[in-house]
Amino acid sequence: MSAGHAPGVYAGGADVIAVLILLAEFGMLRQALARDQVRLYAAQSGLISALAVIVGAVRGLPELYLLAGLSAALKIMVIPLVLRRLLRAGRVGADLAGPDGDIARSGGMSLASTVLVATAVAAAGFFAASHFTVGGAAAPPAALSLSVSVVLVAFILMIHRRDVLSQAIGLFSLENAISLAALVIAASLPLVLEAALLFDLLVAVIVFGLLIRIHHGRAESLSTTDLTSLRG
Amino acid sequence: MSVVLPVPVIQALQVVTIIGAAPGVSGLISRVEARLQGRRGPRVLQPYHDLAKLFRKEALAPQGASWVFLAAPAGAFACYLTVPLLIPVLTSYPLPLGYLGDILGGGFILSLASFLVAIAALESGSPYAQLGASRAKTFGAITEPVVLFVVFTVALLTGTDLPYALAATVRASAGQIMRPAHLLAAAALLMVILYETGRIPVETHAAASELGMIEEARPFEHSGPYLALLRWGAAAKQLILYTIFVNVFAAPWGLASSQRAPAVALAAAALLGKAALLGCLVAVIDSSFAKLRLFKITEFAAAAFLLAVLGVLTLYLGGG
Repeated sequence: MSAGHAPGVYAGGADVIAVLILLAEFGMLRQALARDQVRLYAAQSGLISALAVIVGAVRGLPELYLLAGLSAALKIMVIPLVLRRLLRAGRVGADLAGPDGDIARSGGMSLASTVLVATAVAAAGFFAASHFTVGGAAAPPAALSLSVSVVLVAFILMIHRRDVLSQAIGLFSLENAISLAALVIAASLPLVLEAALLFDLLVAVIVFGLLIRIHHGRAESLSTTDLTSLRG
Repeated sequence: MSVVLPVPVIQALQVVTIIGAAPGVSGLISRVEARLQGRRGPRVLQPYHDLAKLFRKEALAPQGASWVFLAAPAGAFACYLTVPLLIPVLTSYPLPLGYLGDILGGGFILSLASFLVAIAALESGSPYAQLGASRAKTFGAITEPVVLFVVFTVALLTGTDLPYALAATVRASAGQIMRPAHLLAAAALLMVILYETGRIPVETHAAASELGMIEEARPFEHSGPYLALLRWGAAAKQLILYTIFVNVFAAPWGLASSQRAPAVALAAAALLGKAALLGCLVAVIDSSFAKLRLFKITEFAAAAFLLAVLGVLTLYLGGG
């Protein structure tokens, strides 16, 4: 809370990257095209990988480079590729108007009010995290609060959007938020654990991929509102 | 031995620099914009010629318009003459009149100017001018909270809301510049400046389409010297906002730290250079984005608000 005292350049830089990750999450909330949403997710993952490299360089933890490479390969290349192929394969998203998948109207509220609600929720995240007393003197002060806010905004994304793709992206970016928190508080967490987290994500991708295919095959739509018709 | 300028002269020079250079900055932006779009564009000095021409023309007022219609341009211009006294234009140390008002005070004077122009537009009885005035006030009400949150960020960073104090804080260390709160507040302020100066995501500058007009529609009924004052005032407002952005938030370097004449002259040149760079950035933004539909401007304002609120949150609750 020492507002007048500036943190160092490293802590400030890490905080700036964390803020950019949060802004990317808000960007997904606003995004109108499925294709651009996937692109934003890749950009957010790129920021996480960059942060891992920076933390690794400053703290002298070479295994973080490996983690950054692994997460970049998985989250910048593989997952967006899989999502794009899913979008193209079943002409998934065509029912949502436009070949690019216009998902703007899948939201339950208007854009400006969604952003305001998400801002309030992000503020709640800051309130919650401001009472944690973890992290040392060298840790970026705002990054933990920011990662909690990213988690909450990802929840809003999943709740507010009624298309499967946004919900999948919301879940995947949730993992990004957890990686962010792990990187700033426990950078020296054993590599095996972090790799396990990444493979957890891979499982989620497979499950979501299957879910998207099955749902689209049955309901011929990506919108989860059609799920209500499945009630007995 | 170089000449040492007395403080009142420097104070007056701040106003002269802003008022004198403002049309040139506008001219530069339209020139750069034209080049970016593959046109030759007007000369950089064109706005000065326009003003000179308008000052020689006869002035007409609509029937039934009262003295307010004619007094408002001069009143607004007086406001724009006052604000450069309050902000760090040339010096890094506060000049005596700099304590006349803080950032909010400067904001109030700028809003008074825009209020006067709106009153004159209402007075004209022309539907377009009234439409512009009403829109400007409506959208002004939603960008105002953004400015307030930017001021909160400044206040949390420095403990005061004097523009000189923030500039000094930013100069103090590299860590200050890297603070996310500072960057977020600066970004939000830039978005507000784009709105206030009628630039592209919000409004087409100097365009002929009345339907999308906000700021540009207001002086529709003014003519001659009155129109010249309004135009000059709009250019001065733009340079004042650029100066606040550059000399308080983004790059408060190159300001004179003494009263020597060469240092002050150098500071004036540095300010114009920085304003020209910012103008080029604005021209690039102008050419690379589409104008938002009128009803989408709330989304633009919501994005700016988000940045400003996140700035306060990271600072106050996150400690960043």
